[in-house]
Amino acid sequence: MTLDQLLTDTKPALSHIYNEDLPELSQAKDWQSKYRILMHLGRKLPPIPEKMKQPSLLVKGCESRAWLMHYYNKHQDQHFFVLDSEARIVKGLMAIMLCLVNGMSNTELKKFDLAHAFDKLNLKPYLSQSRGSGLNAMMVRIKDCCH
Amino acid sequence: MLPFDPVNFRGQFEFFQHNPDWVYLDNAATMHKPNAVIDAITAFYQRNNSNVHRGAHSLSQNATRAFEQARDDIATFVNARERQQIVFCSGATAALNQIAFGLMHTVLKAGDRVLITALEHHANIVPWQMHCARFGVTLDVVPLDNQHQVDQQAFSEMLQRKPKVVSLSHISNVLGHIQPVVQMINQAKAAGALTVVDGAQGIVHDSIDMQALDADFYVWSGHKLFGPTGIGVLYGKTAALELLTPIFGGGEMISEVQFSHSLFNILPFRLEAGTPDIAGAIGLAAATNWLQKVNRNEIKNYKAMLLNQFFEGLKRIDGLDILSSPVHNAGIVALNVQGEHPADVAELLNQQKVAVRGGQHCAMPFFSQLGLAGAVRFSFAPYNNEADVTTSLQALTQAVEILTA
Repeated sequence: MTLDQLLTDTKPALSHIYNEDLPELSQAKDWQSKYRILMHLGRKLPPIPEKMKQPSLLVKGCESRAWLMHYYNKHQDQHFFVLDSEARIVKGLMAIMLCLVNGMSNTELKKFDLAHAFDKLNLKPYLSQSRGSGLNAMMVRIKDCCH
Repeated sequence: MLPFDPVNFRGQFEFFQHNPDWVYLDNAATMHKPNAVIDAITAFYQRNNSNVHRGAHSLSQNATRAFEQARDDIATFVNARERQQIVFCSGATAALNQIAFGLMHTVLKAGDRVLITALEHHANIVPWQMHCARFGVTLDVVPLDNQHQVDQQAFSEMLQRKPKVVSLSHISNVLGHIQPVVQMINQAKAAGALTVVDGAQGIVHDSIDMQALDADFYVWSGHKLFGPTGIGVLYGKTAALELLTPIFGGGEMISEVQFSHSLFNILPFRLEAGTPDIAGAIGLAAATNWLQKVNRNEIKNYKAMLLNQFFEGLKRIDGLDILSSPVHNAGIVALNVQGEHPADVAELLNQQKVAVRGGQHCAMPFFSQLGLAGAVRFSFAPYNNEADVTTSLQALTQAVEILTA
């Protein structure tokens, strides 16, 4: 398995999440429905194989372990990421994050406001402080990939 | 002594009136405070606030009296032989740091050994690691058996290496298991070791008679015993306390200061540098005085009943790995939903306003041995009730359902 392959596998999952699941998520009325969708999203993301999970890919600041891989296509000015987490909720939230940022140009990614995006999905009231700070740690790592 | 009445008992905690929707089962992390404690702290600041041991004025003398009375009350609470054996500090972590640092050079020299167990909280691991490494002392760890209990056979064998210090927890903060401390202390003493007991969970569960237990040191935090945060107790036998080099220098702990040298004060002040947490000590004494008014055996039985109901309820939920044993358990249940991360389970409980701890509970080495990412910990207190048991079991059922759907 290579990063290329992972990116290829991740792509259809993300577009499906973006088109089908996010609208459903933003309309879900109670926490149970929101969390059921989140779990479902996490399962859709292809996992990073164990042997590729190098310690350098670990994102600090999450209660559970999470890994981030990055690829930048210079010619088309596009950033691509692959994420994995041992916790389902985190992975579901990261799936949302990924489908919002994958393929962004350097300038777009720099400007991206995660809190605003999560607000629009009506998720904020359902996220605990610790989950929020884990997500922020991941976002910082993603933005660090900008130049 | 008053009989224990669960409804009346819970009624003394205003927290629950302000948070009626919550089920609080994170008592091993910290406990709520009864009005008796909050009132004592407020009254001190409103009426008696002054610094202790130094003012020329009567106000300071009043504050000193109240502070030293707190020491007497706590000495009585644990049946210490002498009042100077109660040293105030910020909590169990501070006490263990003081002991680990304080025994280097006086007791522990390069080539010596310290023995701890694989069930310890980080507070009973890291201070030893820090100081052992610097002083050339070896730290040994007693492994666990397959029931997640400290392997007593291995403990006996490791005592033959003649550790100078044996430091162990009275009750595991992760699993709730009550260790056979009396037996272990006796064995350690027979092997010639100084004994240290981390009583952060132990002091909560049972009344402790320090003279009967006969450990050299026993430490605990006030906030886990209905008291305020920021105060704790380092209890020691006088001879053992005398062995400790103070970790902090400054006011209160000296009798004479010259630029060339200083003379240390007598116990307990020698180990209480700086202005102490006066209100904290008064608050903690209010907690122990309040607790002593109730029959603690009845409290223990009530907690055991809740725990039993909880364990029974868990049997009806499929797919759980329960790490805690119901036997010799002080009211803590650590478990996992099979194949799921504890952070997810804890979050789904949080969504249902059930407060638990999810993760490694400051015991990373314990979980690495088991190859687990952590566990979800439910810890009970005597202000919990049967409704809390029912609600938390329902919430856990719902969490499992969402996770495995």
